[in-house]
Amino acid sequence: MPKNVTIFTTNTCGYCVMVKKYLGIKGVSYEEVNLDQNPERQAEAMAISGVTTVPVTVITKNDDSKEVVVGYNLAKLAPAVA
Amino acid sequence: MKDTGTTETTITVHDVVMIGAGPAALSAAIYTTREDVETMLFERGVVGGLAAVTDWIDNYPGFPKGIAGLEFAEDLRQQAERFGANIELGEVTKIVDEGKYKKLETTSGDIYAKAVLIATGSDYKKIGVPGEQEYYARGVHYCATCDGAFYRDKHLVVVGGGNSAVQEAMFLTRFASSIDLLVRSDHMRASDVLQKELLEKHKDKIKVHLNTTTDEIAGEDGKVTKVIGTDKTTGEKVTFPTDGVFVFVGLSPNTEFLQSSDIELDEIGLVTSDASLQTSMPGVYVAGDVRSGATMQIATATGEGATAALHIREYLEGHKRTHGEEV
Repeated sequence: MPKNVTIFTTNTCGYCVMVKKYLGIKGVSYEEVNLDQNPERQAEAMAISGVTTVPVTVITKNDDSKEVVVGYNLAKLAPAVA
Repeated sequence: MKDTGTTETTITVHDVVMIGAGPAALSAAIYTTREDVETMLFERGVVGGLAAVTDWIDNYPGFPKGIAGLEFAEDLRQQAERFGANIELGEVTKIVDEGKYKKLETTSGDIYAKAVLIATGSDYKKIGVPGEQEYYARGVHYCATCDGAFYRDKHLVVVGGGNSAVQEAMFLTRFASSIDLLVRSDHMRASDVLQKELLEKHKDKIKVHLNTTTDEIAGEDGKVTKVIGTDKTTGEKVTFPTDGVFVFVGLSPNTEFLQSSDIELDEIGLVTSDASLQTSMPGVYVAGDVRSGATMQIATATGEGATAALHIREYLEGHKRTHGEEV
């Protein structure tokens, strides 16, 4: 189980819903940063991911290393939060 | 149910496994579960399919004011789960006909089913021009509801002239200051209602360029800066300065996983079927956008899902008679 998880989302993003649903199924708690409500944090999301898309999921592991998963990508998300 | 088959290994056999969880599969699941047919859905992407990433749905019967795509998808999911549908997140990679059962190879191991519904839908097509892959998610996008928020007060290019292109361009006006809509042909394929709305409500922000191809997406320092196209009426190159490009040029069927399965596809990769929506593999049915002959509408996908479910129920009755099992 990761130390903490942050997801950058928007109000209308279906893929964001799926990431949250998957984490919910796996019992992984997360902090959500909604970029529609917090547009000032867009630059932060872009700097972390290098892309202009959501969802961006930032997984902080127990050794404080970070993994970034862009989009709803189960092949990357599942092992990252295991 | 459990079935020991003819070997010593006990396997779990589902009554029906549906590949995909878009409107077609979720509708089918509502019908099968209400008939007490044990139903599992396997979804590799978004529950609700393309409908879930569509801004707004105005042409689905029963919603006089329209409905947000995400809300529609969530309602469908809840309705299917209410009757017992089990939605698993993962990907099916192959279907094998083993006679009595179908084996589905998945990213989480093999599963077995008496009947299968293919309802994998489609995804937005790529244009296939230089720069499109290079700037993917860094200025080139296929989901306005996901990525539009990154373009507040920016200039955008939208490529396409169909319903999706026009509807998503109108959605993007919530964020963008101006939009060039590039349409390859001499007219838009979008419905008259959408075209009228575009002209009446969005002409100050959206400029339509008919007869204009999209030839290249170019940029500097890792960012998209322009789209280069051709004005087909003059044959001259035209340049559209932009901060981002959204592409909606049609749909491509999600059938790659069937390339190694013994299921017939048509010349563009859609799944062929008979009048009962059964594919060339007995016991395997198809519904929605992925079916050859489908009209690519949410309303028809849900109808096909219901139709397929009723034929699956009939197939399972025959399966029961043949193999002497409970359905």
